[in-house]
Amino acid sequence: MIPIKYNIRSLSVRWVTTLLTIIAIAIVVFASILTFGMIEGIDNAFKSSGDADDLIVMRNGSSDEMSSTIAPEVARDLLTVEGVATDSDGEPLVAREFVTIMISSRRGKDATANVIVRGTEKASRTLRPAFKIIEGRDLEPGVNELIASKKMAERFEGAGLGEVTEINNVDFKVVGLFEAGGSAAESEVWADLRDLTAAQRIEGAVSVVNLRVPDEEKRLALIDRIKGDEQFKLDALPEETYFGNLQSSSSTALKVIAYIIAFFLTIGAMFAASNTMYAAVASRGREIGTLRALGFSRRTVLISFVCESLVICLLGGLLGCLMTVPLNGLTGGTQGSTFSEVTFSFSFGPKVLAQGMILALAMGLIGGLFPALRAIRLQVVNALRQR
Amino acid sequence: MSEANNDPVVVVKDVCKEYRKNDNVLTVLHNMNLELSAGDYVSLMGPSGSGKSTLLNLIAGLDKPTSGSVFVCGQDLAKTSQSALAKWRSRHVGFIFQMYNLIPVLTAYENVELPLTLTPLKKSQRAQQVKTALEIVGLGDRMDHYPRQLSGGQEQRVSIARAIATDPTLIVADEPTGDLDAKSGNEILELMERLNSEFGKTIIMVTHDPRAAARAKRNLNLLDGRLVSDSEVQKAEHST
Repeated sequence: MIPIKYNIRSLSVRWVTTLLTIIAIAIVVFASILTFGMIEGIDNAFKSSGDADDLIVMRNGSSDEMSSTIAPEVARDLLTVEGVATDSDGEPLVAREFVTIMISSRRGKDATANVIVRGTEKASRTLRPAFKIIEGRDLEPGVNELIASKKMAERFEGAGLGEVTEINNVDFKVVGLFEAGGSAAESEVWADLRDLTAAQRIEGAVSVVNLRVPDEEKRLALIDRIKGDEQFKLDALPEETYFGNLQSSSSTALKVIAYIIAFFLTIGAMFAASNTMYAAVASRGREIGTLRALGFSRRTVLISFVCESLVICLLGGLLGCLMTVPLNGLTGGTQGSTFSEVTFSFSFGPKVLAQGMILALAMGLIGGLFPALRAIRLQVVNALRQR
Repeated sequence: MSEANNDPVVVVKDVCKEYRKNDNVLTVLHNMNLELSAGDYVSLMGPSGSGKSTLLNLIAGLDKPTSGSVFVCGQDLAKTSQSALAKWRSRHVGFIFQMYNLIPVLTAYENVELPLTLTPLKKSQRAQQVKTALEIVGLGDRMDHYPRQLSGGQEQRVSIARAIATDPTLIVADEPTGDLDAKSGNEILELMERLNSEFGKTIIMVTHDPRAAARAKRNLNLLDGRLVSDSEVQKAEHST
């Protein structure tokens, strides 16, 4: 093998070109990781929302909570179904919820977006295991109070602690901020079910009923019963299925776009790496000839030049990964399938970083291969004559 | 003197070398026949385009003849694959180039060690051989110098150390003094003479310089791709 120090020192001799190529590759890797991190963040938001024991009951034919309506008496019947778990106070873990949207202004921007407001019951909290109030207190039913997710409080006017927001001409005050383990609830503002439906002048309205049935047999039986009841006209889905459907409708298109962008960026960066290596091969014809004359095989020279390209791209990849460190956990927002704001945290986990590094190495491998092939195609005698 | 035996190290038999460009055929060597014995020190002279470098490249296994055969150390080079030739060169041939051809980013030590990395020697054994080679050429104290930190003569001496590090049978030198001043050139020629007389290396040297040719034991003159003279050098001619 040709010692790797030969390649590393050759790169340091041409340090300006090498540095510029490393920066170009770092930017591409950074942009790709950012995109992959966003997809991962959105996936996490939906993945952490579904619990295997929980069911979501909606009107038959509704694809999401917003378009579902359940008659109040039917919703009431669901409070007493068999097999439902209870909380520590012995209360059944069933929550009727009403979901609507309000238009809110983004903080610091001249723009608005749809924000999900959820009318909740006490069990709504327990049904989201990672739910916790992190600032202020939980809302008091009957006095038009709100709690907002911390992310929404940061992003929207009227959702901050102590702020007042108007829902259908009724003032609601934000008394607490919550987190919910990065789940879909973190893209929401919560009110009391009765306060919200009263403000909307549709008292008793229910969009969905969430319930926890830990026993799988009973859960499946309940799903069959709800689906089969002609009178209910309802659909019951495991939460995982529901959020999985939402996730795929939200992020599939995004993923496709992200991969296409990453692909083209990578191709561009390959040209940068390739260009650098072509210049290296062109200026080192005599060195290549000497190595070959001394007895290094074509394959060894090929590997050496590809390694040199890989070193550049590896450094570029690492720099690109480092550039994402300050952004890890940064909150972003996108439009979900219900045209409401879905917040997520950029997630640069090992999988995302590995994807970035694989891209960098692909750039090095393919970008370095063609110049290296050119290097070994040189006739030794001709290469030795080069200046 | 050299430890020559009667088996020829190099046998060039009916060799023709042609280059084709479009429809034009340029014959650089015509029916060349030549034998070199172990311990020979041969200079190849002739005007530019006479075919001396081409002949040297064929003997060194860097190129193949259009017809005929070249046997070196018993190997039929014309019938050897490129990859096998590369391996063969690493074991049997040491190269000395006019422009030294050192790798600029490697130190003198690392340059000399380079061909040894192709052998199965351990690092400590390689170190021993590199040091010995550099000491033979008088550069034992310049091992960590990069080529740019050395004079032309010193660079050529590193190149010679690299050529002898693997203890090859044959040393090929293409105008080894062509880029050096008279004093440095003379030092290089003395060193090459030592390699031949003390270490028994078979040397073939292409040169334009009659003083360099006078240091060899045998002079071959080429003209238009043909061998026009092959003469022993009288020892009295050596001293200058």
